Formats: sequence, C-alpha cells, structure tokens
Amino acid sequence: MAMRVALRCVSANFSHKGPRLSHLPQISAALQLRRTDLTRTLSTTSQLSTALKFTDKHEWVQVDGKVGTVGISNFAQEALGDVVYCGLPEIGQKLENMEEFGALESVKAASELYSPLTGEVTEVNTDLAENPSLVNKACYKEGWLIKMTIENPSELDGLMDDAAYEKFIKSLE
Amino acid sequence: MVLRSLCVLRAQAAASLSGLPAALLPGGSGLDLPGSGLVLRSLSTDVFQNLALEDWIHDNVDLQSRSILLLWRNSAAVVVGRHQNPWQECDLRLMRRSGVPVARRRSGGGTVFHDPGNLNLTFFSSRKNYDRARNLRVVTGALRALRPGIDVRATDRFDILLDGHYKISGTAAKLGRTAAYHHCTLLCSADRALLASLLRPTCPGIHSNATASLPAPVQNLMDHDPSLTPESIARQLAQQYLAEFGSGGLSVVPVQPSDQAFAGIDRAAAALRGWDWTHGRTPRFSVDAALELADGAAAATASVRLEVKAGRVEACRLAVAPEWLPGGPPARLAARLLGARFCPSEAAAVAEAFLRAEGGGATGGGATGARLRARLGDLCDKMVALM
Repeated sequence: MAMRVALRCVSANFSHKGPRLSHLPQISAALQLRRTDLTRTLSTTSQLSTALKFTDKHEWVQVDGKVGTVGISNFAQEALGDVVYCGLPEIGQKLENMEEFGALESVKAASELYSPLTGEVTEVNTDLAENPSLVNKACYKEGWLIKMTIENPSELDGLMDDAAYEKFIKSLE
Repeated sequence: MVLRSLCVLRAQAAASLSGLPAALLPGGSGLDLPGSGLVLRSLSTDVFQNLALEDWIHDNVDLQSRSILLLWRNSAAVVVGRHQNPWQECDLRLMRRSGVPVARRRSGGGTVFHDPGNLNLTFFSSRKNYDRARNLRVVTGALRALRPGIDVRATDRFDILLDGHYKISGTAAKLGRTAAYHHCTLLCSADRALLASLLRPTCPGIHSNATASLPAPVQNLMDHDPSLTPESIARQLAQQYLAEFGSGGLSVVPVQPSDQAFAGIDRAAAALRGWDWTHGRTPRFSVDAALELADGAAAATASVRLEVKAGRVEACRLAVAPEWLPGGPPARLAARLLGARFCPSEAAAVAEAFLRAEGGGATGGGATGARLRARLGDLCDKMVALM
C-alpha cells in the first residue's frame, strides 16, 4: 500500500515540466524508496510501517491512519477449511475490543470472529458475499473482512507483531 | 480416593437444585475427577432454553481439561443454521398454523426438524480436542452395541447414514475462543410426515446467498428396530461416551436450565426466541413472485419483487396490469411496505392502513369503486400470504 503511494508521488512530480531543480533530489529519493520498497514487499507482507498486528484469536489488523483493516491469518484460514459464508456486521456497528462481531462458516464449523480493537465499522468487504473463498485464497489482501475506526490506539500495543505471532503459532503445535 | 470424590460429587449433585455439580459453575472449586468426561441431560423440552443452555455451558464451563456430552430433546421445532434463510428452508405459514416455532442456532450447517422423537447430542470440548469423527464413533458404537450388525456409518460430511442410504443424523458445530461444540441430531421416532410438510420453502422465487440445506431421505431408528427408543439410545450413548472420554463412573446428571444457578439463561433464551435473531439475522435476499389475483368475475397476475435485508423490506416493486388496477395504488402499497418486517402480521397492519387511506375518495364511488376496492383488498391479501 505504501509502495503505491510512493509511485503516485513520483508520477505527479514528473508531470510538472520546466526547471524544478529543487525537486530533483526529492524525485531521486522517491525512486530510491520505490526500489527498496519493491524488494521489501516481495519478501514479506508486513515489513512496512503499516505492519500487521495479530491477536491470539488469529485476526490481523493493519492500520492506515485512523482506520484499521481486519482479517484472519493464514493459520486461521487453514484451520477453518473452505469458507462458505461470511457473517459480517453492518457499517456503523460499534465494536468493543474482544467482542464477537460475526462468524465465518466453513465446512468445519461456524467460527466466531472477535474484534481486535474498539471502534466503529466503516466498511465491509462486499466481495465476500459472492466469493467467500477469498478468505482462504488471499487472507491478507482481497480476503479482508472489515475496516473500522480506532478509538483507543493504545489497544494496538497489546497485539503481536509478525515475529511474535509466528512464535505464538509455533507454541500451539 | 476415587470413591470419596464420587460420593462427594453425588452428594453435591443431589443437593444442588440444578443437578449440575456445583464445582462446574462459575466460582466453583473445580473437582479433581479421575477421567474427564461428563454426561448431562436437559430436563427442558423448550428449544430456545436448550440452545441457551448450550451457549451457557460453552461460555461458562472450563472445557480445557474436561469434555461434556449434553443430551436434550425438544417439542416440535424447526432449527435453521446460523446463516440460513428460514423463508427458504421451511414453510413458516404452516408452522405458524401448527404452532411449531423456528429457531436459529449459533452453529453453521443446515436445517433440521426437532420433536421428542429426535435426540440431540452436544459434544463440548476445548478447541484443541475438537474431533467430530471421534464423537460420531461414540454414536455409531452405541447403536451397534444396542443392535449388533446395524449398518450405521458416518460420512465425510459427518452425517450418519443407516443402510448406506437414510440419513439418521446431521451435524453442525461452533468454534469459539478456547472451546468448541459439535452437536448432532439422531432420528429415533420423529414425526416424519410433519418433518416433510414443514421443510419446504415458505414462498417461491427466493434468491439468496444464505447457506443452503442438502435435503436427504431420512428414516427413524425405531422403524428399523422398535427397541431403539430415544431413552434406550440415550442410556447407551452415555455409557459409550463415558467409556471413550473417561469418567469416574458418574451417571447421567439431569440439568434444569431454568434454574437460577444458570445465570442469564432466561435472558439468552428470550434473545434466541426473538424475531430479530430468528428472522432478522437472515442474510439479505430477494423474492421474485407472481401473485394470482381474482375478483370472482376475472383474474390477473401481478409480479412482485422484494429485497429483504435484516428481515425487513428494503425495496419493493409491484407491477399490476393497468386494466386490472391503476398504477397509483400498487405503487403506494409498495412504498408503505418499505421498512416493514417481512412478516404477515406486520404486512397485514400496513395493508390495513393502506386500504383505509385508499378507500372512498381515492377509488371512487359506485360499482367501479367497489370493484377497485375489492381488487386492492385481494392484492393486499396475496402480498401478505406471500410472507
């Protein structure tokens, strides 16, 4: 997501013709940023500043300013099996940290979803209505579940980062 | 030491009003039971109380080191899965007339019919120990112990089939934070005629992405062998379960959900009974239907398209041939239905208010006016009957 923003900045700068010598260092810096970002995003999903944070219920949240995107981890989607239905909340619904906000139904069972944060639902992934298997196929990208406001940013401190979550999963096996 | 704990437990069970060992309740000491299995039998036949009891056990009992089997039976009810559409799954009109309620479980899966001839089993465990195949082996093992040679097998969908063909059990499950439950039905002597008549759509033309049921031919175990009654099966199941999951030789503990010891069950049962959960939790759907209109002398067809979200009419389009009715009134009826519950009593109230508003001035006087009003009334009846 940050990479796309960097690219946009670069093209916007190029569209301004004429001597803008003062901008050149910025452009080359942006280009440099783009290259390194590219290599970094290829190797892992969560090295950027808007890194994923995980709960012990295997949900992830990715913060972008005031909004958090929520989904379930790869570990969770594998454990669930094929998702056949996503029972998600309505836009505007207020969620409490650790409160149940919906359920994913798979061939295995109905699995409850627990909110990683306190906030309000701003968006719901409507693609999942027709295509619930997106949760299995792209749990960190197109299979996102909801977006919500973040009322208490301090709640993020209680969540695990990538490395801590990997450790946590290993401890479960 | 084993004997002493048993005596203590039995004494406690006898003393406690609920029948549930006090230690298992919140604030209880948590007994050191050899083996970790426990069998409970609900004394309630109310489907909502029993569903609430399931949730209560799941939420309140420490299931990390203990497994529980709950046996329960209900008076006639249709139970739909968490993400299903009751209008699609069962004939709500016929159920209202017959006094059979619809309930919605928290677990997934399809629609089943409950009555006293159907035995419900709920296997509670930690998430780690969640194992549906193992649970169903307890069931098939019990049936084979009662009737050696009986052909009962669990499928990969976790149904149980009799003679490789008839479904006698369906399974559903819920995974929570740290615990899980797997429940299944067992058809012993259910009213199959009632089952067949109720498990049919309320109205045609429903389009929805709600989870669908897979209809299957069913049979009662008692038809196969009269000794396979719900009581005899329950007894054998308890034995089989305790043998498999280990126990201190504890017998089946009766449980009364309405007992005060189960804090919050009545409120939970009321929420499960409420329209907002049973009907309002239905995923968004649309209905495309034709209404057959008549006024004794002539007939016509109207087409209606409704969008229903959270059980309420979100959009309604009514098309009636202009020779039958002018465009105004049907459009006004459609507008009035917006926001109303997709339910006949609410629709009837809306229709009544509509007809009062339309009557007289709007429809005109004389024979024409009377015919118009009769046709409007008929249109309203047919709309209500759709739900």
